Amino acid sequence: MPNAVEVKNLSKAYGNIKAVDDISFDVAENEIFALIGPNGAGKSTTLRILATVLTLSDGGASIYGLDVRKQADKVRQIISYLPEEAGAYKNLSGISYLRFMAALFSDEKNKQKEYIDMAVLICGLGNRLKDKVKTYSKGMTRKLLLARTVMTRPRLAILDEPTSGLDVINALEIRKIVRDLSLQGMAVLLSSHNMLEIEFLSHRLAIIDKGKIHDIGTAGQLKEEYSASNLEEVFMKLTINK
Amino acid sequence: MKKFLTLLKKEIQELLTPQMLVPLLVIVVVFVFVGKIIGKETSKAKAPQAIEILDLDKSATSQQVISIIEKTNFLPNVSHSGGAEEVIAKAKEKNAKVALIIPSGFEAGIKNFQPQKMEVYTIMKNFSVMASVNSQILKAALGAINDGLSNQLLANSNPKIDPIAIKQPVLADDFVVIGEKQANISPTLVSGFITSQTTFIPIILFLVIVLASQLIATSIATEKENKTLETLLSSPISRKAVVASKLMAAGLVALLTAGVYLFGMRYYMSGITGGAIGGAAATDEASKAAIAQLGLTLSTPDYLMLGLSLFLGILAALAIAIILGSFAEDSKAAQGVVAPLMVLVLIPYILTMFLDVSSFSSGMKILIWLIPFSHPFMAAPNLLLGQTSSVWYGILYLAFFFVVFVFIAAKIFASDKIFTMKISFKKKRP
Ligand SMILES: Nc1ncnc2c1ncn2[C@@H]1O[C@H](COP(=O)(O)OP(=O)(O)OP(=O)(O)O)[C@@H](O)[C@H]1O
Ligand SMILES: [Mg+2]
Repeated sequence: MPNAVEVKNLSKAYGNIKAVDDISFDVAENEIFALIGPNGAGKSTTLRILATVLTLSDGGASIYGLDVRKQADKVRQIISYLPEEAGAYKNLSGISYLRFMAALFSDEKNKQKEYIDMAVLICGLGNRLKDKVKTYSKGMTRKLLLARTVMTRPRLAILDEPTSGLDVINALEIRKIVRDLSLQGMAVLLSSHNMLEIEFLSHRLAIIDKGKIHDIGTAGQLKEEYSASNLEEVFMKLTINK
Repeated sequence: MKKFLTLLKKEIQELLTPQMLVPLLVIVVVFVFVGKIIGKETSKAKAPQAIEILDLDKSATSQQVISIIEKTNFLPNVSHSGGAEEVIAKAKEKNAKVALIIPSGFEAGIKNFQPQKMEVYTIMKNFSVMASVNSQILKAALGAINDGLSNQLLANSNPKIDPIAIKQPVLADDFVVIGEKQANISPTLVSGFITSQTTFIPIILFLVIVLASQLIATSIATEKENKTLETLLSSPISRKAVVASKLMAAGLVALLTAGVYLFGMRYYMSGITGGAIGGAAATDEASKAAIAQLGLTLSTPDYLMLGLSLFLGILAALAIAIILGSFAEDSKAAQGVVAPLMVLVLIPYILTMFLDVSSFSSGMKILIWLIPFSHPFMAAPNLLLGQTSSVWYGILYLAFFFVVFVFIAAKIFASDKIFTMKISFKKKRP
């Protein structure tokens, strides 16, 4: 069985800006893997490449053995991607947005219903789902989109700062859901600025800065390696010393 | 296919918002309303108008004058004594807009070949076209009076000669030649007819192209801004379907808008041309026959070609707008990026409206023919003039243009250019 994600010597440049520079990492099945790093480090760029939204400039990447470039169509059937700071269609209601997305992932009515039921349960928006998305708060929109991302039970969920904008209780709830789904066989690749979240959620993490990965390991390993009491210290040591 | 329909439905839902529909409805209501008012006013002007006449001559000739005036759609109220002040006061009282005084000695003067003056008072309450209509009609009546009286004078002095032969020894007989066909009709009537039939086409086409291309560019820019496009392009749907659904939704909305505008304009035009001041509208049977003889009517295939040309023009504009919209980072920038397209549409719109393209130098002509949007603007007059082949050429060119630009748009969506290329109108951060 191939890894959920395999990234080898991946690079991406926007014109002259080298956003991702020769990075490599793997994500195993069932694993929750986190990318952490300062603003502009190249986290979102990496996730967008793996979500087949951007094309890579150099190196290679595959999802469950499928090449993100050559087999993008197949990759799209088994992944689900939540962009950072994403919105939904403003003139659709929450429920019609879920219906619309469900219909994109499956032609079968019962499958669609299954997806929608799951999303309704996860987002916890209740009656507000009937309202237009433009009337939602930032956190409500985020929950709707998160529910949408995992409702299709993708084999890999790519989540760019999944809990940004959520309050403590909602963030906790979402983390629990992500954790449960991963136990049921969903691999997760996420980025975050929240060290607590990463310690709680991720099995392993990579610290990325200026397009390069500086270290990969479990939270425990990294703390020991850098003789730090928490991840924030590790982060500071790694990114400021460079 | 199912997924395409899902996408199409979503696109239409996003486009047909109250913000888009309300202005459209307002425009139509205004058109219908203005058309109705104008129609009402013109039929009012067509109804017999009151006229106050002071006949101080009380002769057979003055009687004849009054009966001619009556025949030219006036309701005269005749009195035989008083002066200018009284007759004006009476006119005001009866709400008549014109008053007329036939002086005493009128008949005798005319018989002695001395030109006579009638005082005509027009009571103006505003300065619109309608306000002067009555005095214009009266002028026509005066023409008829002069004609009748001078005929009489001529006939009295020399009964052997036809008065017409003396007054108008030379007459123009108007013919209009179009291609191989010709007909006995005045050119003013022909151009008046064509204008009334086709002026609204370029206006509607222009409005619809502007609206639809802004809609589609904004839709793409908004999807980029909200990251919904990233979600869409990472979903298991073909990117061609994404482009096609956007095009089709905007195309359908454009058709709807065109239909609505057409309805409004028709209403408006029928209000205007229904009246007497419609100018040279060729409405009588003889003119209609002459216009048909010139081939200046559109057959069903002509209408189909016209529709095809207009629709392809809109589609070509939409294809360009998709590409331009891909450059915009947010919905505000979308209004700016479609500006080049607007220029491309504005040039042929203005040129074909005011100038005769066929008389341009060949270099200019080629330049205009190269702009795809010239063709739908020229389609209606070309069809009327029987130049079907140039309309076909335009249709093929537009289709080619559309296919090429859709292809480019699909390429942009298939690569990551849709996310990486941009024109920012914001100042770059240092
Ligand atoms: N569309 C783009 N065009 C040009 N440069 C870009 C584009 N998107 C990102 N970049 C650049 O690539 C680099 C990496 O950006 P990226 O969005 O991947 O960072 P990030 O790690 O996700 O940061 P953040 O934590 O702020 O979200 C940055 O220098 C950014 O300026
Ligand atoms: Mg980011």
